[in-house]
Amino acid sequence: MVVGEEVGRFLAQRIAAGALVVVFVSALTFFFVNLSPGGPSSVMRFDVTAEQRATLIHNMGLDRPVPERYIAWLGGAVRGDLGTSLLTDEPVASRIGDRLPNTIVLAGTALGLSLLIGIPMGVIQALRRNSWLDHALTFASALGLSVPVFWLGIVLILVFAVNLHLLPSAGVVSVGSDSIGDRLAHLVLPCLVLASTILPTIVRYTRSAMIEVLTQEYIRTATAKGLAPRIVLYVHALRNAFIPVTSAVGALVPRLLGGTVVTEAVFGWPGMGRLALEAANGRDYPLVVGIAVVVAAIAVASSLAVDVLYARLDPRVRLA
Amino acid sequence: MGGGSRALRRGILAAVFVPMLVVAACTSSQPAGPGAQAVGAPVSGGTVTIPIVADPTLNPWSPNAFVESVFVNRVLFDGLTKPGKDLAPAPDLAASWTTSADGLSWTFKLREGVKWSDGQPFTSADVAFTFNDIVLKPELGAQNRGNFSAVKSVTAVDATTVRFDLSRKFSALTSYLAYNSGIVPKHVLSADPLKTTTFNKGIPVSTGPFKVEKYTSGQSVSLVRNENYFGAKPYLDKVVFTVVPDANTQIAQALAGDVSIMILDDKAAVARVKSANNLAVVSRPLVQYYWLALNQTDPRFTDVRVRQAFVQAIDRQAIIKSVELGYGSVANSAITPALKAYFDPSLSTRYPYDPQKAKDLLAAAGWTPGAGGVLMKEGKPFQFTMDVGQKGVLEPVNALIQQDLKKIGVVADLNTMEWNSYIQKVVVRRDYTASVNWWVYPSDPDVSPYYASSAAGKGFNIPGYQDAKLDDLLIQGQGASDLEARKAVYKQLQTYMADTLPYLFLWYPDEVDVLSSSLQGVPELGLRDAMHYIGEWWLAKK
Repeated sequence: MVVGEEVGRFLAQRIAAGALVVVFVSALTFFFVNLSPGGPSSVMRFDVTAEQRATLIHNMGLDRPVPERYIAWLGGAVRGDLGTSLLTDEPVASRIGDRLPNTIVLAGTALGLSLLIGIPMGVIQALRRNSWLDHALTFASALGLSVPVFWLGIVLILVFAVNLHLLPSAGVVSVGSDSIGDRLAHLVLPCLVLASTILPTIVRYTRSAMIEVLTQEYIRTATAKGLAPRIVLYVHALRNAFIPVTSAVGALVPRLLGGTVVTEAVFGWPGMGRLALEAANGRDYPLVVGIAVVVAAIAVASSLAVDVLYARLDPRVRLA
Repeated sequence: MGGGSRALRRGILAAVFVPMLVVAACTSSQPAGPGAQAVGAPVSGGTVTIPIVADPTLNPWSPNAFVESVFVNRVLFDGLTKPGKDLAPAPDLAASWTTSADGLSWTFKLREGVKWSDGQPFTSADVAFTFNDIVLKPELGAQNRGNFSAVKSVTAVDATTVRFDLSRKFSALTSYLAYNSGIVPKHVLSADPLKTTTFNKGIPVSTGPFKVEKYTSGQSVSLVRNENYFGAKPYLDKVVFTVVPDANTQIAQALAGDVSIMILDDKAAVARVKSANNLAVVSRPLVQYYWLALNQTDPRFTDVRVRQAFVQAIDRQAIIKSVELGYGSVANSAITPALKAYFDPSLSTRYPYDPQKAKDLLAAAGWTPGAGGVLMKEGKPFQFTMDVGQKGVLEPVNALIQQDLKKIGVVADLNTMEWNSYIQKVVVRRDYTASVNWWVYPSDPDVSPYYASSAAGKGFNIPGYQDAKLDDLLIQGQGASDLEARKAVYKQLQTYMADTLPYLFLWYPDEVDVLSSSLQGVPELGLRDAMHYIGEWWLAKK
């Protein structure tokens, strides 16, 4: 099994490199966040005396040098201990663990929805290049890219929750309810808003990739051989068009996670994006670093997944 | 989220709400004020929903108990006293109190038969624990411990009697005990008073009319009736605090009928909310005032004529009109109109807007117009930087002040900063020349922590103003035991403050509350104070 070994070695190398990237991100975040102006909210408030401030800084261990703190943190992190949140005294890992599933649900459905709508839209645009439909969809994409997320969020809440009373305005589930239907109703608006941040990119990539593929000689050959247009389109063209789209999706995952910060704040969605905002505003150093590490790990994993998928889609690419 | 985007968001909010307002104005009738419909006798039942911006910390002494926690903690944790409906201290866990002749020893008789929400008896040991083992322990850094610097120790005399021994006279003690000073249970917190997360972020043991049923991080905290509560059974079945960080989403939720009561921080949305026929809008006086601090380490600002000139150069009425939409009044001392017994309304006309007078005063202080109209003294222009924190109305207020000062030839450069960094620069390091902010303080005219010379530089005396006569008045106030004596001292204090301007007093804001038209029985207090009376709130049946 030479191929299997090669793949195994490739994966081992990539995982090792990915781990290095995550450690690097943790170090960079740790130093930047600790050296940034301000301090934990408990200290940076008006109604705290200088004496209290000194006590609290000492109790949080923030009077120790940053490199010393980082080494202590890294020592804990390799054993799975990401430290204690300065804002709540809870373990960072459990705070992230509480919120991460909500973000995965939101980002996952937004990504799924974007692919489900974006790929057919891109294909249609490629097939009807320069038609009025193509121009209209291009315009819509440009519009989608330029609309601020918080504005779109508030407008959708005003329309669907305030005026039409069709959907809930915020949150992940109604208080005291736990039905799937209620959860889905809460998911609709934030999912749409988050999808709007990546959908135009997916449409554009699909369109240009499809146009590119359709001009290739093998497509002409396939058509000339008398294959049904549908077969040419779906079996030959689309499969090859997916290759650049796949790599684009890999690059979109970090952007998607960035988009959750604003989306979750507007919709009161209890996910990791909102947690990141609270952590940054409140200078909860261990929590900021913990979130950065988790996001870096997700980004590394998704780029690895894209590479593996790439090799499956494109026989010219070898994992080695 | 930077402040640039905050300002942008205010603009966008207006862009979104205003067109909808036009539509709404054509369709809705006049809003019903609270009590406008005949409401009859209170009825039991129903759930009240209140939005808060973040997860609360359910321990009033935790340094992480921020403003969102105040709403919940005032329902859960009774203090020895609470603010009365006139804001004077009223009995809560203490039924009565007496003071020794020298004013240095206060004895509180506790209410009999009070139980914690877990059924354990509440005793004087819990009070002694809360103070001796939390507040007075410097190594814990408990929130608000600075308010009790006069307290030496608390002794449990018997099961229902406690004695506070003071190091100096402190007639405001009962007012300060009414301010975020809930008693916490010794039998639960003795091991770790401030960091027990099952308590702070879970289900705490409390004495108030409601107790926590469920705490869902990032989503909500729901409260149900505390069957062990000592007072009258509350009308409401449940109180739910929903965590909604975005202010615009909170407003949208109110419009959608998902909120029972909330503070409307963005007064630009008042018109939109008023047009909704399921909502009522009320305004309430607050124990809060905005100020401009001029750092007294800068010799230009130690001249009282300069401070008096500035306060007359700033069109404070225009600021109130523009950023508060009229909800507020001009301030000339630290004592706010909400403190009705002490507030001196005659000072309101002390400094009318008068740029010419301002110029004359500055001229008398040696500042004369130079090139381009900029005031000069000893060859140097009157120019300085104002640090601006990105919060609430501070950015537009600073811009208005900058324009007003320009009109009298003073150049103020604005340095806008993210809130947390701002606090570090201005409050922690005192590395600033001029800055606008506000104080909210316990409902008592004893404002020593913010003005005493001893608090300059390290306490809450932000400008670092030091004045022996002011100190003397503050100490006289702390020593005056009866109401009439206190009134007399604090009238003098207000006049002296208006004359000397330790801070430049800007305005007293009013709070605008939005409430569901079915919500009744909420006393006419700022919402945070009204939380003490949630047992009296009730929902009219529709």
